[in-house]
Order: sequence, then C-alpha cells, then structure tokens
Amino acid sequence: MIDPLSRTLARTRWLHRRIRARVGRTDGGGSERSRREETERNAKSETEGQSSTDDRRPRPRPDGRETVRAVETDGWLARLRWSAGLQAAIFWVPPFVLMGWFVYGAIGWNFLISLTDWSGLGQPQYETFNLEMYARMLEDRSFVAAARNTVVLLIAFTGAALGIGLLLAILVDQGIRFENTFRTIYLLPMSLSFVVTAIFWAWMYNPETGMINVVLGGLGADALAMNWMSDPRTKLFSIILALTWQFSGYCMIVYLAGLRTIPDAHYEAARVDGASTVRMYWRVILPQLQAATTSAAIVLMVFSLKAFDFIFVMYGDTPGPSADILAVMMFREAFSRTNWAYGSAIAMVLFLLALAVIAPYIYMQYRRGEL
Amino acid sequence: MAQVTLNHVTKRYEDVVAVNDMNLEIRDGEFVCLVGPSGCGKSTTMEMVAGLTKPSEGNVHIGDVDVTTLPPKDRGVAMVFQNIALFPHMDVYDNISFGLRLRKFDKEEIDRRVDRASDIVQLEGMLDRMPDEMSGGQRQRVAIARAIVREPDVFLMDEPLANLDAKLRVHMRTELQRLHKELDTTIIYVTHDQAEAMTMSDRIAVLDAGELQQIDPPLVCYNEPENLFVAGFIGSPSMNFAEGELVANGFESEHFTVEFDPSQVPGASVGDRVTLGIRPEDVFTVDRVQNLSSATASIDATTDVLEPMGDEIFVYLVLGESAERSMEGETASSNQLLMSVNPDSDIQEDQDVEVVLDRSKVHLFDTASGQALAHGIEELPGPSAGTGPDAGTSAGTGAGEGTESPVTEAESDR
Repeated sequence: MIDPLSRTLARTRWLHRRIRARVGRTDGGGSERSRREETERNAKSETEGQSSTDDRRPRPRPDGRETVRAVETDGWLARLRWSAGLQAAIFWVPPFVLMGWFVYGAIGWNFLISLTDWSGLGQPQYETFNLEMYARMLEDRSFVAAARNTVVLLIAFTGAALGIGLLLAILVDQGIRFENTFRTIYLLPMSLSFVVTAIFWAWMYNPETGMINVVLGGLGADALAMNWMSDPRTKLFSIILALTWQFSGYCMIVYLAGLRTIPDAHYEAARVDGASTVRMYWRVILPQLQAATTSAAIVLMVFSLKAFDFIFVMYGDTPGPSADILAVMMFREAFSRTNWAYGSAIAMVLFLLALAVIAPYIYMQYRRGEL
Repeated sequence: MAQVTLNHVTKRYEDVVAVNDMNLEIRDGEFVCLVGPSGCGKSTTMEMVAGLTKPSEGNVHIGDVDVTTLPPKDRGVAMVFQNIALFPHMDVYDNISFGLRLRKFDKEEIDRRVDRASDIVQLEGMLDRMPDEMSGGQRQRVAIARAIVREPDVFLMDEPLANLDAKLRVHMRTELQRLHKELDTTIIYVTHDQAEAMTMSDRIAVLDAGELQQIDPPLVCYNEPENLFVAGFIGSPSMNFAEGELVANGFESEHFTVEFDPSQVPGASVGDRVTLGIRPEDVFTVDRVQNLSSATASIDATTDVLEPMGDEIFVYLVLGESAERSMEGETASSNQLLMSVNPDSDIQEDQDVEVVLDRSKVHLFDTASGQALAHGIEELPGPSAGTGPDAGTSAGTGAGEGTESPVTEAESDR
C-alpha cells in the first residue's frame, strides 16, 4: 500500500509535470514556442542579414584586395540594422516610453515623495529622504482602521463574490430554461458604472425611503431595519454587499466556463460512487475549478484594493473609521489635507498590497509561458 | 450478483421517445450487450438501470428490489464510462477508493479492496500515479478497478472501449471477458460495435429507435435475425438484401429468382412482397460450389470492386445484364451483391461470373413489417433447380425454428 508521503510526492510531480506540459518546456530554458520563435527570428535575421551583407559586401578592388575592416563593420551594423528588435522599434518604443514615464516613472516619483515631508502648497524638498511617513502610519489610528477595513473588504468581498458566483454558476449549469436570460441578468450589474451602482445602493440603504428597510418593514421585520450606511456596525457590510452584488455575475461567468469543461461523466461517476450533491461538488467538481477560482480571485482582490470610487460616491472622502479604506484615506490625505508625502506613503502601501496579490499570479503565468 | 429486469420501461424527453416500452430480463451473472446505432436508446436504458435517469413509465428491478426510484448509490451498481471519467486531481489510489471512502469504509478494508482490484486489472505499482501519467489502456483499467472495488451486484459499462485504439480495444476485450469469468457478476455492456457484442456477450440485445428488436445469444442473432434491422446490423459486412415477390415457384426479384416451395414460408403467401437476405460468405461462384449441399440456380453478375482484407476478399457484384456500376442510389444497391471469397481466389474486377446462394443460409423477411419469415429454404421437389450438386437438401425452417441444423451445416459447408 502507498504511504501518504509517496502520494504527496506523486501529486507534486504531477502538478510539476502539468505546469511543464502546459508551458511545453523540456529543459530549464524558455518555452518551446518562444524557442521556436527565437529560432525562426534568428533564421530570418540571418537570412536577411546575409543577403544584406552580401549586397553590401565590399567589391573586390581592381587590384584584387578586399577591405577586411569594412566587412567586419558592415557585419555588426547590418546585424543591428536588421535585428528584429530594432525593426519593431516603432511599435514598442512609444508604449514603452509612455508606460515608463507615466506609470513606472510616476510610481518612482511617488516613492520619492513618500520619503520627503512635503505638505501644503509648496514644492517638495528633495534634499533629505527618510521613512518618517511610514513610521507615522504605525501610530496613526486612522491608518490602522483603514488598513484593517481594506483587508476585511478584500477577504469578505472576494469570498462572498466567489461563493455566490459559484452558486449561481452551478444553478445556471443545471440545464434550466431561459439559461441565457438568467446569465445576462446576473452579469448585467457588472456592466454598470460603479458611480451609478453606488448611487442607487445609497438610495436603497436610505433608512426612511430605501427599499431594504421598506421590504423589511413589509415582512414584519422592523427590528432588522436600520440605518445601514450610517451605523458603524453595518457600514462596511453595506459596502461589501453592494460590491458583491455587482461582481457575483462576473464570478458566475468565470465559473460557468470552468464547469462547462468538466465532462458530465464526472458528475455521473461521483453519483454512482455514492456522493451526495454537496460532496460531489466539494470533492470532485470544485478541485477542477481551481484555475477559474484563482483568476477570478485575483481580479476581485485587485478591485477591492482600489474600490475608491464606490465608497467616495457613497460617503465622500470621510467615510469614518468603520468604512474607511486605504484608497479613500490616500485621497483624503493627499488632496483634501494636502499631506502629499503621507498620501504618497499610503499609496506605496496600497501598491505593495496589490503587488503581493498579483505577483504570485504573474509569476505562475510566467512559469507556464503565458507571459 | 443479481438479475436485472426492465418492465415496460419508457423514457420520454419532451417530444422524443428515447426508450419505448422496453421489456428486458438479464439473468444473474450474465454478460449482456446492448447494441444498436447512435440514438437507439441503449445508453438511456443503461442510465435508467444505473439510476442516472428516471423512467417516464415502467419499473426497474435489480434482484428482487424495485429500484426505480432509488438513487444510484443504493442500487448496488458500478459503472464504467465511455470517456473513463477518472477524476484528474486524484491519483489512482484515490480514484479507485473514492466510492469506499464516501461510504466510510475503514482504511484496512479500503486497502484490501484496492489491492485486490488493482491485482485483478494488473495495476500493481501504479497506485500513486496521476491519471494523465497513464496510457489509455491503463486509465481504462483504473476505471474498471474503481467499479470492481465496490463489489457491486451489477456492472454497467457504457462503451468503455470506444476511445481506445483498435489494438488496445481487442486486448481490453479479452481482459473484460477474463474479468467476467473471474468475478461472475452480471454485466450490462453498451456498445455500437457489434464485433464487441458478438465476441464478449452471453446474449445480445439489439435496440433500434428505442425499441428492443431481439435478445438472443450472438450466433442466434447472426443466424436467425428476427427482423431486417437485426439482420442488417449484426454482421460485418452487412447482409445483402433483395426486394422481390413470393411467387408460385419461389422468390422473384428484378435480377434473379430462387426456386422453392412457397408453402414452407409461414406467414406469407404467393404475391406477398418479401425481402431475401443472404450474407456475403453464403454467396459462391459456381466453380467453388462443390462442397455446397444446396445451392440456388446460378445468377449472372459482373464483378465491380474488390476489397482484399487479407484473410478474405470482398467482391462487389453487379447483377443483371445491363449492370449499372454506380455505387450510389437505391437502384444501384438493389442490383448489388456482396460476396466474400478466399484470399487465394484469382477473381478479377470487371469479370463476368455466375454465382449461387447457399439455400440453407437464405433468409426471408416480410418487406412491409420487416419481420423474419424463414431462415433457410428447401429446394423444390423433383429435378434440381440449382446448378450446385444435389447432394442433400438443407432443412427449411420457419423463423425461430431449427436453429442448430442450418448453422452446423453451413459451417461444415464452408
């Protein structure tokens, strides 16, 4: 019989092989596709380089001697001139410069500002750099509350949207009538602007005229009716609920695509083997939806980190400690209170959080050769 | 072990009837193949036995229990699927033991059963492999082991070899026969491949358009098909058919006649439209007819296309003087005859030949209903009507009668 260690090792080997198979690698180098493209590029480059070199080959002088130096110079110049990278420069240089300047340059500049003590309407002083703003965060209760809310929002919103999305996908996948209609209805919120969503959820949360309290009252559950957007106990929950409503449809689509790739025989085999519906999904179907879960979770987590517009429309720049998140706090510190350096430091923390979420995914994609 | 009974089982999908009033009794320990073309209802029938589909009408019994409304897990069945359906995230051990773990068997018992099952299907040393590390045949064995380990009353196999290559399919066919011998469990096996059905099963249930056409041992289905569908479906290449009329001295079609006393055909009278069926191996050229006990009169034909298969040659014959060579269209098929000859035959394409049919292997069907009227016909009394030697006559039988005699005789003839 097999011991657990052997089985774990076998699983690891299998996962490794799957990744390698998808990447198409047979050694530690680049992917098969990239190697093939490289070979083709080289062949093309060599062919073209060769012909151009041939064209430019120094003609024999009347005395029968050739200029060896000219041949060498012509060689690397020709190679440079005809290199694929240089030929494609017109396509990659403009976006490279624009991205480099406006995105990565801005991130770098932001980091520099976060190391200064720039505030007010003056200019930043780039003479002394320190980590004062980062140290200030640790003592700032607003920052701690915003960071906590950000993490709670990230986890709760992502979990809820994934869970509801999966449930909807499973229901839609049952071969029900009007499947396409349901799919469209569930996906529709995703097409709305976050500003629009925030406004009508704010209406629905209205304690007097909002639909939620009216419905609760109608059902005789007046005790549950409350001031959803003002009560510190329900503020963050209200935001999570609204965001979950908007993003569950997206998760449903991702999961539905995953479910459609699983053969019916897997469901039938599990049922014949004695699995209940819950166990069948938990032990057989869900593990096969790992890729769908990962990609949907990444999108949701990144969005939750920058859910600024939604909260800003609902609460303005001061949602209070129970609903404040780092994105809103960054805006408030930088643009309302002109604490530019502190705002930049918060922005750097947000950037690092986003990087922590997305970096493993990008690395995984790189390993698979999808980048 | 258990017998499986389907009583008046019907399955409707909105306006489509997938299975229509199916009555089927599969005996304990029997290996029964459900065969038929795509869409004939064989998989639906199996799904109803498995509990994956509920019948619209009728009931299903496994053993003495009415399982019509029971879920699959409570029916004592295990199933092997066409696309194998191994869970890709589980290794072989987990795949095989999945059903046992769900039923909360203790670890020792699970290990014992997995060991036994993997031993039966020869998977020792592969239990820690993942499905995508295995060949098609190995994966199929895992799927079978997953069924064995449950120790079910009934094995259900839904075209389990369909996705394998031809060589592996033949090998796995033998493995399944060995498995059946070893386990002696009831097996219901769905296939559209009649060669699989012929070689493996105790009985074949032939289905068409959701209805059971015949259920009999393979050779009975082959030699005494109950209707035109079974006659055409069982056997490769298919049986030759010629539409014609029952006349006073036998059968008459557009291109040939076969003389016999029509009174020996029960359920038909002179003037009725009948279809004559003859298998390719029961058509002979007159120069090779010496060993044939009862040949019909010779039929003029021209060879068209030859298909050398190695162990035999299939010869497409075009009947009649104005033979049309077209292989397409109704007219073309009605004047064609497929003949099987020995590989050492010197027969050529576009050669004029005279052929005879083995009377004992001629089948007659009612053209309108498709039902078999007779299997094997006797010569007319008196002077021989055929060109073959007159040594003896075959036993003419009504449909379903005298099964053994023509078969034995035909085999000895060849």
